[in-house]
Amino acid sequence: MFVQQLVNGLTIGTIYAVISLGLTLVYGVLRVLHVAHAGIYVLGGYAGLVAYARSQSLLLAFLVAMAASGTAGLVVQRWIYLPLLSQPRIVPLIASIGLFIALEDLFRLVAGPYSLAFSARLPFPPATVGSIALTPAQLLVAMVGVPLLALTWWVLTRTKIGLAWRALAEDPEMAEASGVNVSRAVALNFLLGSALAGAAGVLVGIFFNAVEPTMGSVPAYKGLAIIVLGGLGSHAGAVVASLLLGVVEAVAIGTVSLPRDALAFIALILILLVRPQGLLGQR
Amino acid sequence: MAWRSALAILAVLALASLDVVLAQGEPIPVGLSAPLTGFAAPDGLSVRQAVELGVKHINTAGGVLGRQIRLTVYDDQAAPPQGVAVAQRLIERDKVVAAVGGSYSGATRGAAPIFQQNRVPFVVAYAVHPDITKAGPYVFRVGFLGPVEGAGAAEVARIYFNAQRVAMMTMDNDFGRALAQGFRERAAKIALNVVGEVIYPLGEKDMAPYVTRVRAMTPDLIFASGYFNEAALITRTIRQLGVRAQILGEEGFDSPKYLELAGAAAEGVVIVTNLNRDDPRAVVQTFLKDYRAAYKMEADMVGASAYDALRIIVDGVRRAGTTEAAKLRDAIAATRNFNGVTGVLSFTPQRETIKPIQVQVVKGGQFRYFGVITDPEIVTPP
Repeated sequence: MFVQQLVNGLTIGTIYAVISLGLTLVYGVLRVLHVAHAGIYVLGGYAGLVAYARSQSLLLAFLVAMAASGTAGLVVQRWIYLPLLSQPRIVPLIASIGLFIALEDLFRLVAGPYSLAFSARLPFPPATVGSIALTPAQLLVAMVGVPLLALTWWVLTRTKIGLAWRALAEDPEMAEASGVNVSRAVALNFLLGSALAGAAGVLVGIFFNAVEPTMGSVPAYKGLAIIVLGGLGSHAGAVVASLLLGVVEAVAIGTVSLPRDALAFIALILILLVRPQGLLGQR
Repeated sequence: MAWRSALAILAVLALASLDVVLAQGEPIPVGLSAPLTGFAAPDGLSVRQAVELGVKHINTAGGVLGRQIRLTVYDDQAAPPQGVAVAQRLIERDKVVAAVGGSYSGATRGAAPIFQQNRVPFVVAYAVHPDITKAGPYVFRVGFLGPVEGAGAAEVARIYFNAQRVAMMTMDNDFGRALAQGFRERAAKIALNVVGEVIYPLGEKDMAPYVTRVRAMTPDLIFASGYFNEAALITRTIRQLGVRAQILGEEGFDSPKYLELAGAAAEGVVIVTNLNRDDPRAVVQTFLKDYRAAYKMEADMVGASAYDALRIIVDGVRRAGTTEAAKLRDAIAATRNFNGVTGVLSFTPQRETIKPIQVQVVKGGQFRYFGVITDPEIVTPP
């Protein structure tokens, strides 16, 4: 049973990671807590659902969702965060919360208050290894989530733009002085982070067979909790924290009857008491 | 002289319409509270459509006491504060003579005392919480009490499946808890072996950790509670994790939305509920047929229950011969062997319903007849 719970936890953890990696990317370059990221993620869910219903193609669903969310992310960055960056840090945060609420209501008005079924026909059967069952949806999460995380990792560590992001995160002024094209770097950063959120929206839609206007409300605060747990601005930290949280939730649900989110935040508090800077954060 | 003939025509018209008003009387205002938005919105839609169909049926048949029914519907979002606000609005602004409670327990519990204080009969369609009818003599319930339905489920596990190892998946709210309580009590009485229970919070999406725990209990039957969203997720996850145990659900599963979201995994799932689609009585088949024709979708348990609640109010008005509150209340309280869509039902002195518990099975993507529980020991509310 423990191994099965581990698999369950790693699956949900991978989904958390795809969402919160985008969030931590944005925090790294702009120092904005991007609550509306969860709205961009819901947009991806709906865009993917529409694309899938029209084309019956999973690949197209993911591509359309990532394009839609990526574009939306660019718009938010250019016309909402950029004009507010000179304001105190609380201002973009409030704007972000407001935007998230507005997006939630927009989805409700356009798509209706119901949860829509995302019944994708997955091209693989359930797999069983010993007593461990892997559902088709869990396999999908692994097959899409892991490559996306790997791709992001590659961009961050092996490309010039990744270097620029890390430089911006460490010291924005020095980065600019060294010739980093800041506005381009920030825009690309939002594009990638938001596209990841869009992919996560489709993954969650298929995983739970439901896309609904309120699907972003838990990720909105859990995403923030994860990037704090991982160490603010630490990319690897966000991924580690996501997987850890997923596993802790699944294993704890297997032993104590407490709601998932209660367990998640108890774990968060305990870890922060020991490591206030987060798992991989620097003091 | 043109104006004079115009005036004459007007006068004739006025007299004629006065005549109609005198013959028909003022319409009778009846209220409906339903969750039209929020997480329960599909149920709210079913309720509104079914009650509107009921009003149409009654009005085209000539109304009651020669008067038409005028329905006012408000959205309570299945939330207690909205339930209270809707009740006040229906009573004070719309002056309803009675109301149908078409929402979940939370909103309905808030509304019931308001109707009681204002002495307006309130007939609750399907909310299960025991406290609702305790608000006072003006509050009635068409659906089952949670514990009654839970006991019915335990009986199904025993007599239809002869289950040897039963696991429970309980939704952590008043609905799930009340069902679980009834199930456990009946199980103890009939020596049904309950091997374990997992409790999950309302709104949970990832059921895998819970189902994994249930799987380790190696049950041959799983009694699960939940609304259609949770129910569909539980059903899919149970099958995806390779658990072959019989799934036994309750009225929360009884929704076209459940069938849509659960898909093929729902095949063979058995539920205890209020509505038997294969009931040959004309009232049931007419309702199902007209509902399908009007809305291009299948009727469900919440709609059928709300339809019955409306017709019980109208039947009360007819027998009372008036809409005067105290007399109407007494007439509704005297409802016996009412020919409802959800069964031939009577009210107890505590204003709870006595009717058979329907057992349905999902077959070919539809709910069909599987069995019925009529044992008075089970269906009589405590």
